Amino acid sequence: MKGYRKYFVNKLLWLLVTTFFAFILNFILPRLMPGDPVAAITARIAQGMSNSTGMKEFYQQYADLFGTNKPILEQFFLYIKNVVHGNFGTSFSQYPRPVLDIIKSSVVWTVCLQFPAIIFGWIIGNTLGALAAYTKKGFDKVLMPISIFVSNIPAFGMAVILLVIFGVNLKWFPTSGGYGFDLIPTLSWRFIWSVIVHYQLPFWSIVATAIGGQAIGMRSMSIYELNADYVKYSRFMGIKDRKIVGYVFRNAMLPQVTGLALSVGTMVGGALVAEIIFSYPGLGYTLLNGIMGQDYPLISAVTLIITMMVLLANFIIEIVYGLIDPRIKAAQSD
Amino acid sequence: MRKNILFLLSIFIIAGVVLAACQPAAETTTEEPTAETAVEEPVAENPADIAASLPRDETLYFNGQQWGSVVCWNPYSSNCNNAMALAQQDNARVTMFETPYLYNMLDGKVYPLLADGDFAWDAGMTAITFKINAAAHWSDGTPVTAEDVAYTWATHVKYNTQFGAANKDYIDTIEAVDASTVLVKAVLGDDGKAINPLLVQAYLSSNYVIQKAWTEKLEARTDGDAAALMADVAEDVVFSGPYYKFFTDDTKVVMVRDDNYWGQDTSMFGKLPVPTYLAHVIYKDNAAGTTALQAGEVDVSQQFNSNVQDLWLKDNLPISTYLADAPYNIGASLPTAYYNMASYGLDQVAVRKAIAMAVDYNTIISNAMTNQSATFTQVPRSLMNPTPGEQALFDHDAVADLQWAGSDIEGANQLLDDAGIVDADGDGWREYNGQNLHYIATCPNGWSDWQAAIEVVAAAGKEIGIDITTNYPEWSVYQTVVTNWPLPETGYDILMMWSDGAGPTQPWGRIRHLISSEFAQTTNNWNGNWGGYSNADADALIQAIPTMSDAAELKAAYTELVTIYLTDVPSFTLMYRPQSFHTVNESVWTNFPHEGDGTNPAVPPLDLTDGWSIAGLYNLTLVK
Repeated sequence: MKGYRKYFVNKLLWLLVTTFFAFILNFILPRLMPGDPVAAITARIAQGMSNSTGMKEFYQQYADLFGTNKPILEQFFLYIKNVVHGNFGTSFSQYPRPVLDIIKSSVVWTVCLQFPAIIFGWIIGNTLGALAAYTKKGFDKVLMPISIFVSNIPAFGMAVILLVIFGVNLKWFPTSGGYGFDLIPTLSWRFIWSVIVHYQLPFWSIVATAIGGQAIGMRSMSIYELNADYVKYSRFMGIKDRKIVGYVFRNAMLPQVTGLALSVGTMVGGALVAEIIFSYPGLGYTLLNGIMGQDYPLISAVTLIITMMVLLANFIIEIVYGLIDPRIKAAQSD
Repeated sequence: MRKNILFLLSIFIIAGVVLAACQPAAETTTEEPTAETAVEEPVAENPADIAASLPRDETLYFNGQQWGSVVCWNPYSSNCNNAMALAQQDNARVTMFETPYLYNMLDGKVYPLLADGDFAWDAGMTAITFKINAAAHWSDGTPVTAEDVAYTWATHVKYNTQFGAANKDYIDTIEAVDASTVLVKAVLGDDGKAINPLLVQAYLSSNYVIQKAWTEKLEARTDGDAAALMADVAEDVVFSGPYYKFFTDDTKVVMVRDDNYWGQDTSMFGKLPVPTYLAHVIYKDNAAGTTALQAGEVDVSQQFNSNVQDLWLKDNLPISTYLADAPYNIGASLPTAYYNMASYGLDQVAVRKAIAMAVDYNTIISNAMTNQSATFTQVPRSLMNPTPGEQALFDHDAVADLQWAGSDIEGANQLLDDAGIVDADGDGWREYNGQNLHYIATCPNGWSDWQAAIEVVAAAGKEIGIDITTNYPEWSVYQTVVTNWPLPETGYDILMMWSDGAGPTQPWGRIRHLISSEFAQTTNNWNGNWGGYSNADADALIQAIPTMSDAAELKAAYTELVTIYLTDVPSFTLMYRPQSFHTVNESVWTNFPHEGDGTNPAVPPLDLTDGWSIAGLYNLTLVK
């Protein structure tokens, strides 16, 4: 247990150091983009305004308000102070809306779309990959080419294919939105059903592209494990297939679990393609707009959340690995 | 063994399906359980309390106006991103807030809304007087008064709002003579007359009247802080228009009709607008909007629908545009390529004109605009948009020799040869004073129709021995660069920007923004003349036109300005673009504005929300 504590403390320290640098990068990187966010706001105000003195006044007013004319170090400490108090500031692109409000309203859609899709794609993909490795023959010969083909269709391609076939041509599913264009959100069956129906195309567009990659990865890992010495030895020992397959999948699963953790960590970034093509509400498109509009507070807040989720997911995986696979702990503790 | 694996597979699939099925249920709990209630309670039985869905035959759906979530409802703010309710512009949006007058881009006239009768200048051209309609009242039932108009202006000036800053150089004060009479005093020039009567009277059809009592409430809660006043979300705002907030979230905005709207008085419309709800689903891009239009989920489309004619010719959908044939809509603005006057060789008229003459505008119009623009043969280039009113303002014969329709490679080559700008070293590119002419043409990345146009400009350069390449920075970068002089030494030799559309100050305002030297070589310049062109004669005419009242004198001045523009070629129009795209799907509603629809005054194709086009909402009927 002493070795594990050392391992845990070591990982925790790395988490803190990485978080610190991630924090700095989250602040600096958006501000390194060329262009001037205050100019965009002035542009909106300038519509219909014909005197240039007034325009300069507005530019100055908003530069003061957002603090973009302050020294970068001062801005940084102000940012840290606000974030510590749970305040991500006011959005530039959706001024005067608070960043937290923007994130709150869109993150739910993103998580509810992405999380089940990632889990579902991961489970189906790994199951199919393991089946292909185990059964070989026809199943493998059919599954592999299909997996490779599907996993190489870009996300936007898959989304558009599903949209055109099932939305536009067959009219089985709606083409856009998170719920019916003619509904107001209420706790009614009609609304719930509408959400379910609108959910299908974005969901399957993510799942379909995820399955192939997972299946290929799992198949390779399983084939490798099935040919391992311990499997042959187990067979010589007369251990039942069922037991052996259990060992094989557990070992083959390890890298796939890492992949899953990272996918879950990055899901807050949003399913940008699905969100755009199906006009589905979510954080991906909000972040894209933030980047296009150089909305520093919004970009910093979203990327900070993504960074923290990835770091935490990694940290948890490392800790769990240390528990379930003593080899890793031993190698890291040396 | 196989049995077990199949069992395992079944478990996984069921688990996945359950997870997926759980999601929507979870989602519903995160949404607002009921529609947001209205800011006021103007009707006894408020539809906001009873509707969980929008009856299709009571709802008019839009696209192309609202992009992104609504931020606020504050008429003093310029940042509400609330396109269905707030747009104080030449053709002001009058769904929730109202202006004294409504501009009609088809006849160039204004019609009273909150005002009673026409406005009148005094004999000395120093002030405007108009009356407020006695029937006009706010959503809280109190009457709209002259004091509201005066206090709105005073607030704009006191807090230096966009609307105050834009007009305070031209409007001195706005006073309430009595409860219903408003006096707008202009800033006077040395001659004792208004320095710009056009902008003074344009204020009356561009800017909302806001309730004094509510404004005082707003001032009290923001403690006199200008930034806080303009940042207030104004959920409690009092309004005078026919619609108000019903529901908004990240996916849609819905407005509901105020059945106590004053405009049903016989002195105004005599009835309520037909749709109970105005709804706008927030689509992520034009493609999604077009798909919804095809599916009948959009009635009025204010977005560019590529190859719009295919919707009725090939898809046989009940979709139409204002004009039955190309260009389908009335062109109002002039997307323009500006020459950077500081770029090497672009100070030479011959170079500027040769490039402009060589461009294949028909390709731009057919490819970039899918023929949704008049050609330059149909409407020869000038400074005017294609509306009959503006076209009548200059002498066509006097400028006919200066106009070009494009693709004139031979003429452009001849012009350059005559100017001595030739390819002396035989490398295929012309030189000016021994230096090759190489330019970069640019517009924002992702603005696909503009990019297609810029590519055609670049191709034209190659035809006449001028090397033009293209570059497409992101909008965030592009806007910062082009609005701040000096432009970079490279990358911004030919740049594309917009020009004004139709409005009460046009074409004067457009011409001013295109060529007036007051904007040349300045910073924070969102007005125009981004290439830095300067011409004293043009400046003098631009200054003089607002005070001219004689039609012949006005025509002579405009003709002279067109002559200067087509001679000097500081920029050139690439296409005509409508004020608003106006494509309608008549599966549910019909009787939309169309050319020759018999309305009098004719309702313009501005989506039934802007200026006089709001009158179209009263003419709609259901298909079934």
